[in-house]
Amino acid sequence: MMKKSVGRIIGISELNVKILLYNQDVKIRDVLSCEFEDHLYQFEVVEVHSNIAQAIPFKRVTGLKKGIDVNLEQSGLQMEYSKQILGKVYDPYGNLIEGKKEKSKKTRNVYDRKLSLEEISIKNEPLWTGIKALDFFAPLQKGYKMGLLGGAGVGKTVLIKEIINNVYKKFKSNAIFVGVGERSREGKELIDEMKEDDLLEKMSMVFGQMGESPCERSKAIYSGLTLAEYLRDEEKQDVLVFIDNIYRFVQAKSEISTELKRIPIENGYPTTMASDISEIEERINSTDKGSITSFQAIYIPADDITDEAVQSISTHLDGQIVLDRKVAEKGLYPAINVFKSTSKAIDPEKVGDLHYNLVQETLRYLARYEELEEIIAVLGIDELSEEDKMIFYRSRKLRNYFTQPMFVSENFTGIKGEMVDIKDTLQDVSDILNGKYDEVDEGKLLYRGKLNV
Amino acid sequence: MGTHIEDLVNKKIEQIKNKENVFDSGKVIRVKDYIIEVSGLENVRFFEKVTIWEKGMGYVNQINENSVIVAIVKQYEPIEVGDIVNASGEQFRAIFAKEAIGRIVDLFGVDLLTGRAFEKFEYINIENPTTPIMDRTQVKRPMLTGIAGIDLIYPIGKGQRQLIIGDKRTGKTQICLDTIVNQGKERKEKGEDIICIYIAVGKTKKEIKTIYNELLKRNALSYTTLVVATNDDKPPVASLIPYVGLSIAEEYMKKKKDVLVVIDDLKKHADIYREISLISNKTPGREAYPADIFYLHSRLLEKGCQYKNGGSITILPIVETKGGDITDYISTNIISITDGQIVLSEKEFSRGNKPAINYGISVSRLGGAVQEEKVKKLGAEIRRKFLSYLETKEVYELANVDEMSEDLRKKMKEGKKIQECLRQSKFSPLTNEEIIEKFEQFREET
Repeated sequence: MMKKSVGRIIGISELNVKILLYNQDVKIRDVLSCEFEDHLYQFEVVEVHSNIAQAIPFKRVTGLKKGIDVNLEQSGLQMEYSKQILGKVYDPYGNLIEGKKEKSKKTRNVYDRKLSLEEISIKNEPLWTGIKALDFFAPLQKGYKMGLLGGAGVGKTVLIKEIINNVYKKFKSNAIFVGVGERSREGKELIDEMKEDDLLEKMSMVFGQMGESPCERSKAIYSGLTLAEYLRDEEKQDVLVFIDNIYRFVQAKSEISTELKRIPIENGYPTTMASDISEIEERINSTDKGSITSFQAIYIPADDITDEAVQSISTHLDGQIVLDRKVAEKGLYPAINVFKSTSKAIDPEKVGDLHYNLVQETLRYLARYEELEEIIAVLGIDELSEEDKMIFYRSRKLRNYFTQPMFVSENFTGIKGEMVDIKDTLQDVSDILNGKYDEVDEGKLLYRGKLNV
Repeated sequence: MGTHIEDLVNKKIEQIKNKENVFDSGKVIRVKDYIIEVSGLENVRFFEKVTIWEKGMGYVNQINENSVIVAIVKQYEPIEVGDIVNASGEQFRAIFAKEAIGRIVDLFGVDLLTGRAFEKFEYINIENPTTPIMDRTQVKRPMLTGIAGIDLIYPIGKGQRQLIIGDKRTGKTQICLDTIVNQGKERKEKGEDIICIYIAVGKTKKEIKTIYNELLKRNALSYTTLVVATNDDKPPVASLIPYVGLSIAEEYMKKKKDVLVVIDDLKKHADIYREISLISNKTPGREAYPADIFYLHSRLLEKGCQYKNGGSITILPIVETKGGDITDYISTNIISITDGQIVLSEKEFSRGNKPAINYGISVSRLGGAVQEEKVKKLGAEIRRKFLSYLETKEVYELANVDEMSEDLRKKMKEGKKIQECLRQSKFSPLTNEEIIEKFEQFREET
């Protein structure tokens, strides 16, 4: 197919190419390209003002110059799909980076899909992860959006890998992994591990990692969702979607927005942040054909949980696990903050009275424990009343109990990973609260599975 | 306006007639510190090298409809409006010379000790595209520092990016120098072919000379290059120097060598980049840093990897903090890029626990995967015991020792002893065998 020239480059900066258009055929989100000295440059149009278009380059533009003609490559970013998508690894633009290319006729624009209210389905079916703290404090249901929030280096990626390990392996349902702005090393490790365990056959992955341009990082999510929607809509499957890390999507968008000289909101975030997030979050939903259950890691910049981007994302969530640096500093993993971690399933009608009451009681103990810690720092343990002493010791045991040996960190801890059934967790928590383990040293409860063996 | 264009056209025609200036030329129309705007230069490429007639050198940073923005990297005389700027037809590039080992070099490939350029060299890109995900393999070989607190508890692997973070004067650079020096031992005893690159960003000349002398004294220069941008270099130079250092590292990595890169330090690099961004009118974001401050460091540190051909780049970036706070914007950004962090604290330093590692908040995300089998088991056990001791110590500090349970008392005593064993003075590396011998006593009798 002959490509016709639609414009000429008139300005270049690192993340923004200005193009003088010859005609009006170019729309926002069209992909343009030009070839110059054996090098293919591609851009996506983000702004059109009369006959001048601003476009963001897919890769670096070193060596490009003014006056070069550009062609219209395609209207909107297209992604090919077919039954063979599973077991493959893609780049953000829907090109394979691993696995054999299959002939496929079907393509879809990665932006197009919007769900109507009628299509959306809400079902209640519990989904247990085998991770004690998660199942107990923030239980999941099919079709939920679960956020894993945490600052730098408190264990988000480890937790999401553990969930992949537990949930995906257990249910063997189809899954999509979207790597956005995270480490390439971890991405490669995940691919390798999945292959080693023969698990890649039901999963496809899309990577736009942190070494890539903001354009790539902002696209990975669209391509990933397009694959998930295909599995849901056409293959009628229940799909698990793992996104690590959705904050990086907003971050990439801010970089692009700055380059376009748009006026930002606080902390340099783009003005369109809330709508950008809504646009993708509203696509992650279940229909009568199939469900999408998603796990989204959310980075908290500068440990500031009130950050505008983090708050905007978390309004879309059905549940959240908040990882806390203070807990991680004590060597307790998963380092969850029990007071901020919760889900919409914490409701007697959904999880039952027993579970609900135990959560309330545990939170009461742990809240008192935090107060007691302050008192102890001044007066010492000996000054506490008998009742408070009991709460103090039992709370420390509860706290230790919610640590768990993980499969994915066996290398680090040297302890074998374990999954714990929710029934066992409830039994153990109730036993600790009732004093069954009062005589046991608190250290013995660290990094264990269930207690009543 | 019309006459201006006419002038330009006429001049151009005359130039062509006289066969002068094969490349484009233009005129400076605005000077803003080290960022200048140039009219003309219609055919320059993005990131092309340009020269300001007898006054300096720069690269194309932005191409507008009617002008070009140039960042100055070298300047001999003040640049003024009206100065002639010539294009070069080539990309702004750095220099890779084998002879640079043992020397202090700058961005332009000049040996700063002699002031001469190297005779044999190749041009290399200042920045290469990121190593593709599929060209990486697992990080699993140890990069030994000779420091027990690191090799045993928070190990570093070849291809890992491990952040060294802490306040002023807590021994950050020292840990890196220790590591570089220890590679000499590794080379000699195990025949490991490892190259070290120390990248200085905005350090004083005195500091650089001191580091050079330390390395010289300990015979570490036979395998180490110092790539530096000093305090008085132009900010664009300082902002590019880490990329150049990594480009040199990539040359070695592609030749199947293991490379250790130290970047000292990235906080200063971030501040320099902020300065350039603000002068170029970029919109400021959090703490006035531009939005791409994360990308600035993520694409730099992603160059660290275990490459498929067997070579590797290990990066030890340094970040300086204030008041021991590692949760500020730049620090957390970098922590979220690296594969772990060694946190140094002033408190430990003044207590005499050197290296002043805060074991509670230090992390290695690769952990045992990069340790030898025998060290791995011992390391996991010591780490667990020691962390549990540090945590318990805090809570029970005020408790009556006599009323403590037997278990607890034993734990406290042992923890204290581990702490003593972890003390180690500078340039006194321990081998894995020596570390095992020293810590064997804390192993549980089973």
